[in-house]
Amino acid sequence: MEELFAPPAYEWQRLSPKYRSMRTLTSLIVPPMLFTIPAVIVGVASGKWWISGIIWAVAVVIVIIRLAFVTRSWRSWGYVEREDDLYITHGVMFRNLIAVPYGRMQLVEVESGPLERAYGLASVSLRTASPETGARIPGLTPEEAIRLRDRLTELGEAHASGL
Amino acid sequence: MSASQPQHTSSADTDVTTTASTPDPATGPLKPTERPHPLTPFVRGWLVFVAIAIGWGREIITSTGENQFQPRGLLWIVPVLGIVVLLAAIAGFFSWYFTRFVIDDEELRIDTGAIFKKSTKIPFERLQSVDIVQPLAARIFGLAELRLDAGNSTTKLRYLTRSKASRFRDYLLTRAHGHQASIRDLDQQSVASAFTDLGMNDQPLVQVTPQRLIFSFLLSTEWLIPASISIIIFAGTVAFEMVPLALGALIPLLIGMLSLIWRRVIGMFNFTLAESPRGLRITRGLTNLTSQSVPINRVQGVKTSQPLLWKPFSWYRVDIDILGHAQNDGENSESTASSVLLPVASADEVELALTRVLPGFDLDGIALHPSPKRARWLRWFDFWTLRYGWDDRTLITEQGWLTHVRDMVPHAKTQSVRIEQGLLQRLLRLADVHVHTPRGPVNAVAHQVDEEIARELALSQLDRARAARAAEREHRAVQAVPADDHRSELELLAAFGTGRDHILGSGGESEVFALDHDRVLRLYRGRHEGPQRTAAQLRSLYDSWRGIDIGIELPVIIDMGEHNGRFYSVDRRFSGRNFSTWLQYADMAQRRPALISFLDATEQLQRLPSPAPGFAHLIGGRAPQQFSTLAELLATMLQGPLKTSRARLEHDIPRVSEVWQRLHADLAQRDVTPALVHGDICPPNAYISQGPSGPVVTGIGDFSPHTLNADPLMDVAGALIFLELEPYADAAADAAWLEAVAVERHGRDIIRWIDVYRRYYGFYFSNTFAFEPAVYAWCIRQLSR
Repeated sequence: MEELFAPPAYEWQRLSPKYRSMRTLTSLIVPPMLFTIPAVIVGVASGKWWISGIIWAVAVVIVIIRLAFVTRSWRSWGYVEREDDLYITHGVMFRNLIAVPYGRMQLVEVESGPLERAYGLASVSLRTASPETGARIPGLTPEEAIRLRDRLTELGEAHASGL
Repeated sequence: MSASQPQHTSSADTDVTTTASTPDPATGPLKPTERPHPLTPFVRGWLVFVAIAIGWGREIITSTGENQFQPRGLLWIVPVLGIVVLLAAIAGFFSWYFTRFVIDDEELRIDTGAIFKKSTKIPFERLQSVDIVQPLAARIFGLAELRLDAGNSTTKLRYLTRSKASRFRDYLLTRAHGHQASIRDLDQQSVASAFTDLGMNDQPLVQVTPQRLIFSFLLSTEWLIPASISIIIFAGTVAFEMVPLALGALIPLLIGMLSLIWRRVIGMFNFTLAESPRGLRITRGLTNLTSQSVPINRVQGVKTSQPLLWKPFSWYRVDIDILGHAQNDGENSESTASSVLLPVASADEVELALTRVLPGFDLDGIALHPSPKRARWLRWFDFWTLRYGWDDRTLITEQGWLTHVRDMVPHAKTQSVRIEQGLLQRLLRLADVHVHTPRGPVNAVAHQVDEEIARELALSQLDRARAARAAEREHRAVQAVPADDHRSELELLAAFGTGRDHILGSGGESEVFALDHDRVLRLYRGRHEGPQRTAAQLRSLYDSWRGIDIGIELPVIIDMGEHNGRFYSVDRRFSGRNFSTWLQYADMAQRRPALISFLDATEQLQRLPSPAPGFAHLIGGRAPQQFSTLAELLATMLQGPLKTSRARLEHDIPRVSEVWQRLHADLAQRDVTPALVHGDICPPNAYISQGPSGPVVTGIGDFSPHTLNADPLMDVAGALIFLELEPYADAAADAAWLEAVAVERHGRDIIRWIDVYRRYYGFYFSNTFAFEPAVYAWCIRQLSR
């Protein structure tokens, strides 16, 4: 099974362990936050607070499922810089692997949101002329993100071929 | 009503220089600039005029009516309307008054704005397409809008008279293709028809009749589904007397259906795909006429689709991804550039169109594989339609049952590749492979492919893409002329009083320009000393034939020399027209006698004396080079081409070494007296004139390093088999017919030798793989026979 997504003759680069901690935190916080608003609205509007209870219970179940998958999801991420292209893989249930040739990259961006910054993380996204490419590597240390960006830009120029 | 004109819809364009100030008068002498047509403000404000007309009409009706029901309160609308119209008219007038443009030999510039001046200058090379759009109101007044696409931005120039717009379009497209031309030369050209926008030189490829368009629309899945749903809803609600309840669902459906009619029928009415000297052109529209050019080099992928009910008629619809047309994705409205190449067409017409958008691609030769049977558990609704296949240039995927879709993506256009596998797919060992192309209707996905094949397809796809791009680059490098060469070339042409617009033809080694009725200038490519020696050898060859009359015109070099490092010769001009061009427009009754005269002329060539006795290579590097046998000569001739193409041939033809050995065995058996062989006897090298009893081939030109003293049958075979490469529709049939004529003349023995020379030329021209895929495909066919 794993062979389908393994890069030939290369080792996957993995994400920073801090990314796992961050995902654990977001998994704990985000679903309860999202579900609390409708739960309160339903409770206030109808006065039937047991419906809100069910909504909260759903949130708890989602949190448990997400926590169970955090480690596996973190481990599923991988990228590798090959000679002519970059491979990125991720996904536990729905797996996917994307290969982007350096020559086709139009834009390489480093992004870091407030939460990511708090954890000392950054992500790198790549754009090609195709909107479907959507290649993004989250959970990198800032040094690695910047190294990757510079490396990809350099390789992109070296392989540039126009359209 | 927008007061800014032209509209500049651009976000981050680097291609078009826009300066927010008046053009600096110090940059040069002031040029006469033009304004758009004076009727422009009226046409642009036509909606307002319609409104005022209705308002006035109403006032007249109500004031002449006798009834007292005349709410005077409503009359306040009239002055308000009047003010609105007046303001709009003033804005329109000013916008028109301050719009000035220049389209001349040096630049394309549009200046706009009364207070905030804006000058837009578009470099000719940046132009990607130039379209003409005629909204109904403009059409009534014979006006047209010129829409210029450059980079990511579209600049509109409106309105001009139709003839002016089409003249500018032709001129700009010529310049956009990197050719030099003068706007004055185009002034005399014939003006295209007002209904189809087809000029004199345009050859319609496919025309869609209104009957077929409407009938096919009524049968299309995208129409039948909303139509049947609305009928069901309507019938259901009528039966239960709940019509008002259903309106919420019916009204959006009806709006959707109307917009579909608008896009698919009215927008595509009178659809014509035509071939012009400057590329493909699409003309369409019932109320608004849109004339759009198709930039072939920007085509990123092709999609053919067939709704279920089109199958009995074998109709297809063809869409293309064009780079830069992304903004209009899915929005095939009446007047914007659309991705539709053919709204409905027969299989033959589709094939014809595909040869133009993907020239040199062998799409039929790609074997398509079905997805494995176990895909039915996931795609129970259409698993039998899933197919995928690829060769070294294209990837094809197929899917769909209600509408069968086939996506074709040239590898060179691949952006990235993705493999996807969901939970159920993992259990079934299946995966999807997405090949990403720039935005557009084409979306190549190989669905539910066996895991291992998916991996192989995805990982090797990028290698194929890289190889295909490298081949394209090589092709471009062959065509491109370095910039300083370009300048010296223009100087040279000017020194001879000619110009790029007088070009008669171009080949791999040289380009030919008209000087006057009797002479042409032949400009050799490249700066190395090769052409000089070739031309000198050709000159002495031609001189040795002076005074020999074989009934056809032969080339004569009058003068030759060098100018700024570019080597040129002045040749006698052949009378008549180029045979290859003539063939494309001639009908069969004219073609066949002309082809016989072509064969006659070919046979006459062997009467010419050769400067070297025996089997010999006459022109080129070490020529004249003599050999004791035909086989030896031809083996030497093949060495050069095979050095480049050997690896490629071994890859494409598994048993190529067997073919190679058989060819040498055959050639060793050929016993023949050597005679002059042109070596490249094809219609582009022949000239045809009107004789007393019809068109006759009267000249053969372009002797070259292919010229030999060898088997005269080589030229007879060449005349038949190179005919297959001609771009007109019946070329293959004509070639077969001409072969039968030759067999009748020379006896059945020659069938074998024609076959041998097919293989010989298949090897000889196989080095074209990098830059002339059509010729290479032909070579492969010869070698696989």
